[in-house]
Amino acid sequence: MIIQRVLEQSVGFLRSDHERGTVRDGTWSRLKQDRTGIIGLFIVTVFFLISLGVLLGFLGQGWSAADGGRWESASSNHWMGTNLLGQDIFQRAIFSTRTAFEIGVIVSLLSTLLGALLGALAGWYNGKPRKTWIDGGVLWLTGVLDSIPFYLFVAAVAYALQGWPWAMHVAMVATFWTATARLVRAEVMRIRSREFVLSARTIGLPAPLILFRHVLPNTLHILFVQATIAFVAAIKTEVILSFLGLGVQDSVSWGLMLAESTQEVLAGHFNNFLAASLMLFLLLLGFNLLADALQDAFDPRQAAL
Amino acid sequence: MRSIVQQLIHGLLLILGVTLISFLLMVWFGPDQTYTLIGKNATAAQIAEVRHQLGYDQPFVRRYVDYLTGLATLDLGASNSSGEQVTSILKRTLPISLALMLPGFIIGNLLGMALGLLAAFRRGTWSDRLITGLSVTGMSISFLIIIIALQVLLSTPYGLNLFPVRGWQVDSISSYLTYVTVPTLSLILVTLGYNTRFYRAIFVEESSREHIVTARAFGASPATLMWRHVLKNSLVPITTRFMFSIPLVVISGSLLIETYFGIPGIGKVSFDAITSGDQPVLKAVVGLTAVLFVLIQFVADFIYRAVDPRIA
Repeated sequence: MIIQRVLEQSVGFLRSDHERGTVRDGTWSRLKQDRTGIIGLFIVTVFFLISLGVLLGFLGQGWSAADGGRWESASSNHWMGTNLLGQDIFQRAIFSTRTAFEIGVIVSLLSTLLGALLGALAGWYNGKPRKTWIDGGVLWLTGVLDSIPFYLFVAAVAYALQGWPWAMHVAMVATFWTATARLVRAEVMRIRSREFVLSARTIGLPAPLILFRHVLPNTLHILFVQATIAFVAAIKTEVILSFLGLGVQDSVSWGLMLAESTQEVLAGHFNNFLAASLMLFLLLLGFNLLADALQDAFDPRQAAL
Repeated sequence: MRSIVQQLIHGLLLILGVTLISFLLMVWFGPDQTYTLIGKNATAAQIAEVRHQLGYDQPFVRRYVDYLTGLATLDLGASNSSGEQVTSILKRTLPISLALMLPGFIIGNLLGMALGLLAAFRRGTWSDRLITGLSVTGMSISFLIIIIALQVLLSTPYGLNLFPVRGWQVDSISSYLTYVTVPTLSLILVTLGYNTRFYRAIFVEESSREHIVTARAFGASPATLMWRHVLKNSLVPITTRFMFSIPLVVISGSLLIETYFGIPGIGKVSFDAITSGDQPVLKAVVGLTAVLFVLIQFVADFIYRAVDPRIA
């Protein structure tokens, strides 16, 4: 028993550290005990299933058919009434779940990956053995991107690439990665001086292998939390951009529905506004609760504070 | 001394980066204004003439360097769309944006600080849970939803109908108050969740430090601890957040609020400049924000040194 443990430990620090590092067994059991976290996970799962249903063609397929009258109230035909063009608001709100997930998943994945990559490189090539231009360059780029007013930058990118449906995604990824990069950089700098990295160096493993196999997996807890935060930020930004006319094109989203409703509410038609804001609020709440619970589960010491 | 030089170089590099990226985005890839200015049926000579006036025929480096020298000498040129001098546009719109955004910004931060302090002070009790829960809820509501809801509730016949729906005709204190209330309330509600969380985290971290624990062990009252030790030591991160949010709140925040309520401030002017390709205005706004940011970093650094001798 003891011999096995000693063996495991001595091999362990050459193995990728995440097996006994930060994303460890306790995380899931701690998450399960977090009641609000489970509520968040439940909400997100329900929305995910809805978006899957839309993607597979079961739900919300009638979102663009204008088969009702103008601004009808709720009825058995149109559960949330219709909009100016006679389109079914309930169907549009459901279909928008897919749009939201599409934007959220793409933006949060890409920005987290980019942030992890650049942050890891910057943290690894900082200081010992020598200070390099990689760290300086990444720091400079994050500083520059953070100094440009956010909506101005996003609007400029969206405008420069106008007509291209991914303009909005590019704009968000280009700004969202900086937060992740900063956190990962700091964490990599911390991990770099740990024993297992030292031993890996001593036996002559190449630096990229150590960095990407052994160091980066130890930042997974940061990446998970940052990805959920980026998801929330992406959906929120989509709403603003769609209102400004720089967002979703040739489809429907909660942002577009809200933009439509800005004129309608002044005339007393609230269905568009209510449907879109309720869905949007629930999904964001779910993700925020989940992000908090993840953070606490990964870092119980901080959570105890 | 050496660190001041380093700071200076760092600041200059930052300004260069911001101006370069925004120049690339907004000018090089931005909209071409030739044909909006010239109208239909122009001759080739007229087109060339307009392009020359707008500087489109110059090489990239030349245009970029011209931009930098213009920025350095504060010679910002005139708007392409209206012909008005950019400095006069800024002079006209900046006070409006400040008057519009500052009350909400300050009240939002103070309220967040008070709630954060209360939550940190009563950590783990039901009032802490209530405040944290409400701030997560607040963080989950989109800016646009808050604006629309407040507008319906406060300025339409479907609600209280107390304030004008949109616009900005300010000539007295009372008209200022009627136009500023709904935007200010929206701004407070949007930022309150984030502010409260941020301040609570800072206060909690400060109050779990060793010297606080020691002071508590020596019998200092909770109120003294909070006011004299925790709040005072939290001043550094608080001032940082405050200062770094100012340019972003004034430009980014005002962009949405001013576009929505039709208020002629700097946010609306810059957004219109993006969509119409009014490059002199854009270049001025982005360039000056970058300079402001660097200045703020200098001031922040100076304050750190004054507050905490270890940094110097």
